Amino acid sequence: MTTVLVVDDEPQIRRAMRTSLDAHGYEVRAVGTGEEAVLSAAEQAPDLMLLDLGLPDLDGTDVIRRVRSFSDVPIIVLSVRDRQADKVAALDAGADDYVSKPFGMEELLARLRAALRRRAGADEPLPTLTFGNLTVDLARRLVTLDGERVHLTRTEYALLEALVGDPGKLLTHGWLLRRVWGPGYAEETHYLRVYVRALRRKLGDEAAAPRLILTEPGVGYRWIAEPG
Amino acid sequence: MSERWILAPGQVSRARVVVTSLAAPAIALGLGLLIQPERELGALSLFLLAVVAAAVVAGMVAGIAASVLGFLALNYFFTKPLHTFHVADRDDVVALATFLVVALVVGWVVGRAVEERARATRREREARLLNYAAIKSLSGEPLERVVNDLAGALVDALRLSGCEVQASVGDRSVVARRGRMEGGTPEHVPIARGEATYGQLIAVPDLGAEVQADDRRLLESAARQIAVALERTSLDAEVADAREEAERSQARAALFSSVTHDLRTPLASIKAAVTSLLQEDVALAPDQQRDLLNTVLEETDRLNRLVGNILELARVRAGALVPAKQATAVDEVVESVLHRMAHRLAKVHVRTIVRDTPEVAADPVQIDQVLTNLLENAVQFSPPDGEVVVSVAPWRSAVRVTVTDHGPGVPPEDRERVFEAFSHGHVGGSGLGLAISRAIVLAHGGRIWIEGAPGGGTAVSFDLPVRDAEPVDQEAVTAEGHA
Repeated sequence: MTTVLVVDDEPQIRRAMRTSLDAHGYEVRAVGTGEEAVLSAAEQAPDLMLLDLGLPDLDGTDVIRRVRSFSDVPIIVLSVRDRQADKVAALDAGADDYVSKPFGMEELLARLRAALRRRAGADEPLPTLTFGNLTVDLARRLVTLDGERVHLTRTEYALLEALVGDPGKLLTHGWLLRRVWGPGYAEETHYLRVYVRALRRKLGDEAAAPRLILTEPGVGYRWIAEPG
Repeated sequence: MSERWILAPGQVSRARVVVTSLAAPAIALGLGLLIQPERELGALSLFLLAVVAAAVVAGMVAGIAASVLGFLALNYFFTKPLHTFHVADRDDVVALATFLVVALVVGWVVGRAVEERARATRREREARLLNYAAIKSLSGEPLERVVNDLAGALVDALRLSGCEVQASVGDRSVVARRGRMEGGTPEHVPIARGEATYGQLIAVPDLGAEVQADDRRLLESAARQIAVALERTSLDAEVADAREEAERSQARAALFSSVTHDLRTPLASIKAAVTSLLQEDVALAPDQQRDLLNTVLEETDRLNRLVGNILELARVRAGALVPAKQATAVDEVVESVLHRMAHRLAKVHVRTIVRDTPEVAADPVQIDQVLTNLLENAVQFSPPDGEVVVSVAPWRSAVRVTVTDHGPGVPPEDRERVFEAFSHGHVGGSGLGLAISRAIVLAHGGRIWIEGAPGGGTAVSFDLPVRDAEPVDQEAVTAEGHA
């Protein structure tokens, strides 16, 4: 059974999450402080952690850092939709994703499943990824759409590779820029914008109704197409 | 273009009197010796002329002094025996005595007339200056300008090197400086009225000169007028404060009742739906249950939006609405909001027109909120299946976003007022939404306004200034789709 550690200081939220996650077949442990969270993550080795950033005792980012020192358990951060900087800090500290409060259970479960799936498939690099009519052959660096080859520049391909490498995961601007352009480019968000737009155009994705790349303004991008 | 107020000094300076008294007879003497007139009458006329000139130039004292000196010079240089003060001829005695009497009378009368005239001119100009000061002090112009203009008029009128006013009333303080504050000995005049002292006026005369008694009186009068201006400003501020406070408390009361109402409405719906679901004596059909649950969902979203707006309003009131600015692509924010609101926007047809725009220095969360509010209003006022157009385009050194609906529209006379919090009652909290949106846009250095949409409806636009102008690719992208 998959174990989920819920960290939130609000008993009502813990109760609602326990009920809902339990109904979906997860085993739930719920704690209310950062200290308990770190302890529980170490002793019980959960498969996933849902962490509220506004804890009474520890700063959420510190909890992430401490957990990351001994575990690579997927961490999804829960926070009120307010400061993008806090979210970016949490993601940079090692969180896998964030969900804004108040959230719909449906959305949370989708993110939770995506994070668990990424973890399950983390060790086996797939040579070819398929997303509906789009195929990305990572070994041969070949991209096809409806069977037709898509011509991408080196940078466009590098960006695509970074995005599809972690489907469903929210990748911050800084992370993507460092990965694709190199360490000196972490602030050049407009590069990303230009290349994301180019990728979308070549891959037939629309900004108004995205199927492949979802924008999180001020934070980063997320590859939303499900592989398979 | 300052008015000129040059004042002649009310009193002739002592130096001028002495110089004129000596110079006028000396010139006459020089001319007399040069011409060597045959008869005494010529020399006599020259000295009489000197007396008139001295009286005109330096007043009565100079006129009299010139008379006496002229008399002595005539006696010494022009009456026999020459170069003595003895007079041999009886005719000469008569002539000299007559000269002295006539010269004294002429010097006295002319000098006095000239002095009177100078004093009258000065008094008139003083009156004009003080009148100007009085008008200025009650003009309702900004205090800084009043004080500055008065300091300028004093510098002109008294030919000062510089004039400085330092004053404060309440928590307002004002400093005005005209001319250069270096030269002769500065004169300090308190700015006071009755018991209260507000500051001081410092007048600096030209190097070597000093402030005369007349000038000091004038400075004191001007200082009193400045005090009047200060008191008026302070009273005006008090009145404005009182009015503002009254309006604020009125607005607070309206806000409070409206917020309470707007918070309770969704709560009432949620409670009604949930208690219906919890009822054990009736069996609800599955689609009825879904309806009720959807109500709960929609109303919690509404509550969430409302709380977000109230939070921002609190920040605005506390002066704490500071955008966490970062390089932001407005079209990405639009995209994200449309994606998040897809469910809510399902009942209208959304069309987006996105042109390539530079990034702006903005807080993406706050811009998200502005867009959410504008779209919320557009949906609320749109007829079913109506079209809502969202456009993003560069406009000069800004990025302009426009949300257009085909609802009933806002009459031109209300287009300013709808941005005031709760100006038009509570239309589902939309009044608050627009007020918050305006506060946010202004905090970004932008502007927001409403226009009529072609063919009826409302177009709300806002501009966000671009910090760094990135190269703009003018490729127009028109995306169409149901959000």
